[in-house]
Amino acid sequence: MAKSATASASDIKMRRKKEGQFSLVMKRLSKNKIAMTGLVIILVLFLLAILSPWIMPYAYDAMNMQERFSGPSFAHLCGTDDMGRDIFSRLLYGARASLSLGFLATIISTVVGMVIGSIVGYFGGIVDTIVMRLVDILQAIPGILLAIAISACLGSGFMNTVIALSIGGIPMTVRLLRGSIMGVRKMEYLEAAQTINCSVPRTILKHILPNSISPIIVSVTMGIGNTILMAASLSYIGLGVQPPTPEWGAMFSSARTYMRDYPHMVLFPGIAIALVVLSLNMLGDGLRDALDPKLKQ
Amino acid sequence: MAENKQVPFLEVKDLVVHYTSEGKEIHAVNHVSLTVKKGKTLGLVGETGAGKTTIAKSILRILPEPPAHVDHGEILLDGKDLLKLPNTEMQKIRGKRISMIFQDPMTALNPVMRVGEQIAEGIALHEKVSKKEAEEKAKEMLEMVGIPGSRCRDYPHQFSGGMKQRVVIAMALACSPDLLLADESTTALDVTIQAQVLDIIKELQQRLNTAMIMITHDLGIIAEVCDEVAVIYAGEVIESGSLEEIFDHPTHPYTIGLFGSLPDINSDVERLSPIAGMPPDPSNLPQGCAFSPRCPHATEACRKAKVALQNLGGTHYCRCIKAGKED
Amino acid sequence: MEQPLIEVKHLKKFFDTPKGTLHAVDDVTFSIGRGKTMGVVGESGCGKSTLGRTLIHLYESTEGQILFEGEDITHVSKKKLHELREKMQIIFQDPFASLNPRMTVEETIREPLELSGKFKKGALMDETERIMDLVGIDERLRHSYPHELDGGRRQRVGIGRALALNPSFVVCDEPVSALDVSIQAQVLNLLQDLQEKSGVAYMFVTHDLSVVKHISDHICVMYLGQLVETTTSKELFAHPMHPYTKALLSAIPSIDIHNRKKRIILEGEIVSPVEPKPGCRFAARCPYATQKCHEPQQLREISPEHFVSCCRVEDINS
Repeated sequence: MAKSATASASDIKMRRKKEGQFSLVMKRLSKNKIAMTGLVIILVLFLLAILSPWIMPYAYDAMNMQERFSGPSFAHLCGTDDMGRDIFSRLLYGARASLSLGFLATIISTVVGMVIGSIVGYFGGIVDTIVMRLVDILQAIPGILLAIAISACLGSGFMNTVIALSIGGIPMTVRLLRGSIMGVRKMEYLEAAQTINCSVPRTILKHILPNSISPIIVSVTMGIGNTILMAASLSYIGLGVQPPTPEWGAMFSSARTYMRDYPHMVLFPGIAIALVVLSLNMLGDGLRDALDPKLKQ
Repeated sequence: MAENKQVPFLEVKDLVVHYTSEGKEIHAVNHVSLTVKKGKTLGLVGETGAGKTTIAKSILRILPEPPAHVDHGEILLDGKDLLKLPNTEMQKIRGKRISMIFQDPMTALNPVMRVGEQIAEGIALHEKVSKKEAEEKAKEMLEMVGIPGSRCRDYPHQFSGGMKQRVVIAMALACSPDLLLADESTTALDVTIQAQVLDIIKELQQRLNTAMIMITHDLGIIAEVCDEVAVIYAGEVIESGSLEEIFDHPTHPYTIGLFGSLPDINSDVERLSPIAGMPPDPSNLPQGCAFSPRCPHATEACRKAKVALQNLGGTHYCRCIKAGKED
Repeated sequence: MEQPLIEVKHLKKFFDTPKGTLHAVDDVTFSIGRGKTMGVVGESGCGKSTLGRTLIHLYESTEGQILFEGEDITHVSKKKLHELREKMQIIFQDPFASLNPRMTVEETIREPLELSGKFKKGALMDETERIMDLVGIDERLRHSYPHELDGGRRQRVGIGRALALNPSFVVCDEPVSALDVSIQAQVLNLLQDLQEKSGVAYMFVTHDLSVVKHISDHICVMYLGQLVETTTSKELFAHPMHPYTKALLSAIPSIDIHNRKKRIILEGEIVSPVEPKPGCRFAARCPYATQKCHEPQQLREISPEHFVSCCRVEDINS
């Protein structure tokens, strides 16, 4: 009886091999043109950042006082800045600092946030109350103030800036993951995990996280753009990455003084930042859809 | 009998509806014809995904278009084709002449509106009455379904599941519609509450002489409430007739299978005899009889060509080539 | 008499809610024999699911005693609990919620085997295949994800996971109520087949009386946390004694269109199981209720093996 019951005409595809979650997600993602465009732009930017010392037409700190404030031309694709430095070269080299700051800080804050969030979400009760109140306190301080305060304590420098920026992002991740886990926690498959003697860490890693992580992945892609902008603000007040090392945010904010007369100085760093944020958002949207297991292929 | 000569009040003729989903065409309703007489109840019985709800939504014209699309057919209410009516006309019919009781009372009620207001809203929309009169009427309706009128100032969350469903029924009946569509309207309720609600629906229907289409997967409910039955499988009517015709002489192998799958409270069987296999994928229906892959009696002829409805005498129709030829 | 597999004595499970103590299971006593099926019926909120979950220690009981194979397991150590869980399992109602959407059929069924530590790599695969075959899941579906399966197959996966370690007791929590009739019959038959093969005992929790009659040897009827009547399946349907059981039985829509039963339509609303008053909780809706019903009720043996908790049972049934 049981046999004949399943041997029916059915739409269920036969799968010879287990397809891992990753390859499934990638397969679905690759069908989404917008997300793929975003992914390609990001990858190209990374490549440019890595190769920048060899492909930039001028040294990023080469000053040329005769050509101060010159507009875009063949010699200087994006023009020059107030010290006569080539903006294009500075953008290329600056991608290194900006992208690594943005990605690193976001990844650190996400990982820390996820660990805290899953513990809080899983155990709930008093742990939840205490941790969430601490998170509330942290979140009550405006992100930028927090970053300024932390980097003022730690001092400037790349790693210190990363730390300063990542702490501000933690509460958001904790909150997101906790909410998402709360939704999963009532699911019967967790009770089922309990009845088959699944240990707590295994339950969290195998049954809870995979089912609650998608909002986090989306928030990561969106968070990176934010972090880059925040890093810019830090540079602006003299914290963060120190001159003459170029960094998009710093370039953008220092150019503001000359915005009226030489708009190209703000324009190009602005476009660079916007491009990253836009393509990350495109990728993030696509990822969210691709990560939904209920979506048909 | 005089009843048989009654003009059908609602007639669905050769209705075809499909959905488009991710490039695939899902054939939800395939050439369905139904009639409902004034004051009578037609039961639509079938499994999940058979297309019962789609039929009801087409009648009310509340199918989401796209993805759904009515390809063909007529829905005649008193001889007027609803599918051809302009939207403004249809709005006057919805709630006034035809209303629907949905499955889930939790989602059918607005949680931040007092129940009295919700019922009155429908009345005020369709009848030229003042707000006060509408609210009076709402109170009356509540009392009719056995809820004290004083509770009309309560919010939905203050009611139990069974009472909420009764509120939904009061809402649906507020404008004394000529046709009531009940879509699994008691499925979410407990049996004792279900018995109460079915009683109320039946009593009100008789008092108001409302025609009704009762959609359910529960043959027991059909037996209790309906006068006529249509069995739906894969978007087709595969058997129809009066309650007695279907329950005393089920003919289509699927209908027989449905009865066999049912643990009956009045008899003792060791093992149920379920229908083998699964319902077909509506985006990829079998070429011939939709039931043929699961049918124990299927022959080559069944798999090759569609089967027409055959009359078995009286109002009993069956879509099976073997119908009427055996036993 | 043979020692029952599981014995429950005066079991209580209370929950603290903002409104007060919720008496989800209140003084329930029964036993289930090896390889037998106990049906537990009642309407939503009567505590039947809580009862099942308390038995297998998903919830800690508040009061009372649970004996498993003669051994008191009401309070057990973590280690003992791990051993117990290989013998006591649960099948859930909702085949959508009870399977991890990111695990394939094979992974779900393999997990309990893996966690038991009883199988080496090769044996693990063989055993997984054996179970898939046992519950009737096609080999070709092994790498499918739950959302790719229909309800019936999904429920088979859930059954496979529960029966993987050959438990002697399984709580079936409304395992077929989310399924279509034709699929429901397939799953019921599967459960019965498996019971014949392995001698597992079921506690079958459901609100569907026709299903419970079909599958059970004994039946408990619950109303708002209280056990109102328990006896053999045959006896219950032939001679229901408690007024609630009578009303419940009469309310089932029957497909017999020629012999219409007289329905008992209950009046009144269900009382809240939060901080309930002593006495019979059905009294508020009971057509026979008297002053005496508001005193605590005893479960009494009215006829052999037929227990009823109603002080007026003799008056009503005479």
